[in-house]
Amino acid sequence: MSRELYAQHERGALKYAFVAPALILLIAMNVFPLCYTVYLSFTDAELVGQSHRMVGGANYGTVFTRPEYARAIRTTAVFVLGAVSIETVLGFFLALLLKKDFPVKAVVLTVLLVPMMMPPAVMGLYWSMLLDPNYGIVNQILSAFVRSPPLWLSDPDLKLFSLILIDVWMWTPFMMLICLAGLGNIPEHVYEAAEIDRASRWMVFRRITLPMCAPLLFLGVLLRLTDALKQFDLVMATTGMHDGSTRTLSVLLYRVMFGSQKSGLGSAFSYVVLVVVIALAMLFIRYIGRIRAGQGAY
Amino acid sequence: MVRYVAWLVAVVGCVVLSSIAGCGKGEERVAPTISIWYAQWAPADALQELGNQYETETGIRVEVVQIPWDSFQDMVFREFASTRTGFDIVVGDSQWLGRGAEKGLYVDLTDWLPTAVDLGVIHPVVLSALCQYKGRYYAAPCEPDACGFAYRKDWFEDPGERAAFKTRYGRELAPPDTWEEFRQVAAFFTRPDQARYGCALLAGRKYDSLVMGFQQLMWAWGGDWSDPQTHRADGYVNSPASVEALTFYRDLVRDCAPPGAVNFSYEECTNNLNNGRVAMAMIYFGFYPGFVNVLGDKVGFFMTPARGDERVASLGGQGFSISTKTDEQKQEMAKRFIAWFLARAQQEKWTRYPGAFTAHAGVLASEEFRTEGDYNAAFADSLDYLKDFYSIPEYSELLAAATEHVAEALDGARTPKEALDAIAEAHEDILREAGLLKE
Repeated sequence: MSRELYAQHERGALKYAFVAPALILLIAMNVFPLCYTVYLSFTDAELVGQSHRMVGGANYGTVFTRPEYARAIRTTAVFVLGAVSIETVLGFFLALLLKKDFPVKAVVLTVLLVPMMMPPAVMGLYWSMLLDPNYGIVNQILSAFVRSPPLWLSDPDLKLFSLILIDVWMWTPFMMLICLAGLGNIPEHVYEAAEIDRASRWMVFRRITLPMCAPLLFLGVLLRLTDALKQFDLVMATTGMHDGSTRTLSVLLYRVMFGSQKSGLGSAFSYVVLVVVIALAMLFIRYIGRIRAGQGAY
Repeated sequence: MVRYVAWLVAVVGCVVLSSIAGCGKGEERVAPTISIWYAQWAPADALQELGNQYETETGIRVEVVQIPWDSFQDMVFREFASTRTGFDIVVGDSQWLGRGAEKGLYVDLTDWLPTAVDLGVIHPVVLSALCQYKGRYYAAPCEPDACGFAYRKDWFEDPGERAAFKTRYGRELAPPDTWEEFRQVAAFFTRPDQARYGCALLAGRKYDSLVMGFQQLMWAWGGDWSDPQTHRADGYVNSPASVEALTFYRDLVRDCAPPGAVNFSYEECTNNLNNGRVAMAMIYFGFYPGFVNVLGDKVGFFMTPARGDERVASLGGQGFSISTKTDEQKQEMAKRFIAWFLARAQQEKWTRYPGAFTAHAGVLASEEFRTEGDYNAAFADSLDYLKDFYSIPEYSELLAAATEHVAEALDGARTPKEALDAIAEAHEDILREAGLLKE
């Protein structure tokens, strides 16, 4: 082997040597658990049991037939749709308000971002105190106006709404940030051209602001959707895992895995959730791609 | 390339050698230690105190790791999923016995326990419920407990209140002995305009609180979770007696407890009595330091009321179980500590710590113990009426289903009958899957 060929070979080997640790870690931490979970989902494995046997598709059958799973899917869907749509509208509205510069803009932005930076579990406990019917400040204020203030976290019709409210409080600033970035990307001369054409404010919003903001807006919605679909900490800190009216998919998964300790059933369930999340994400990514392609000429 | 590999080998070698050297030195310094995992409450502090005395006597360190109640069960069983546990002893709930025994997580103490302790002096109900599973011992008694009530003695002794109560009900205001009396007293103290209510009951969904609260009434009314022989739940948990008991419980929570009382677990019951919002709070006696430290002699304790002649109190408390996933030397050390703990001398010391109770019949009957505080007498009297939830390996699924549906009845999302029907169906599904239901 010539000297040049040897050096080339050594460079190639070195390249792989550098990549190998990351690759091994990736396989060990991501690929292996994913494959092992598929295997577990076809067994009756338990968290503390030593042995398990194959049960075919029985676990998947349980996931698709037991009413508690359907209820958790419904609850999660209501939570995700409710929270993300309100956050998007409110976030966009706030971004429009904060688009222009004003003297204390930095301070207002910082204050608005605080809820987003707090851990959800802490926020859950904090809001449990605020919404407490006896000592909570929310009902103390409301009692000045209404005779019997709402039981936010104990009325079965209100619990999920209360959780949506807390999530909106926490994550609207995130959507606002994304929308602000989107609004900032729209060149000023486009608005100037619209002004020359004497376009109305509504027309400017509908034809310029909204469509040009759309790719980033959809990215924000995608991020919030995938995050809200995994909602866990907030529910655990407020209503807990034994409340069917607020039990999301992740909480039910925790209950199956660690409460009932059924790793096999939990694995099947987690795969179903994973497929749903990936399908939703793919739909959004394709939609964002289409919007970007539509704006390609610009 | 060879140079790179040589450097890599040298660096890794240095790291490995230094860590081996470090480990060696560490082992020489550390005293033998027994690690105990327990829930975070007063008896765990007491156990640590007693453990410190054990270290003074034997040189063996006892370390009690306290875990919050809400996550105690999950953390312990997650630990059991490993090949080795971080603890040598777990002071586990009575319901865990089945899972610990059947899954091979707890050391079988059947041959050892009678040789280390005179089992004749242990209260039989505690011994059976806290330590035995299918006739074999998997735990030794640590902290027996019973569900009962704490009440505002200062309110009950107030002359104005006493006179008003007598005028209304024609009898003296006293801690209730029956559930009907309980309802009267609770209704009497319920005055929303003064932000005062009759009672705080275990009604929240945290851990086992709701089931522990409700099942006492269900049993007293004549219902049961299932047929003890066949495990059929239909016709037992949803029998007319059980429905009546749940209706009574729901009405108490709805009419005589503060707003939002459907979320009250142990902590909320304690806080509401201490804050002067309720007259009576359902609680395990082991929580008494939480009241006494705040209210002093303004708080009293009484047994769970009866219905007619039938009085049942939910069993509480925990036993020492030794992990099979710790080495044999540690298991032997753990046994020696448990034997030391259960000797009468230590049991007398143990009961002097706040929140600590004993199952030692001699100590329980002693005048010194009974007159220490009225929590002691109420606890000792409750022991004969104790009954427990399932302790089979599937207990956590059964508990979760029961909690969820009883809570729905208290919330008003379902009627008591619908809720209990749902429990019967869910429990039979779980028991059938476990092969325990005899159709």
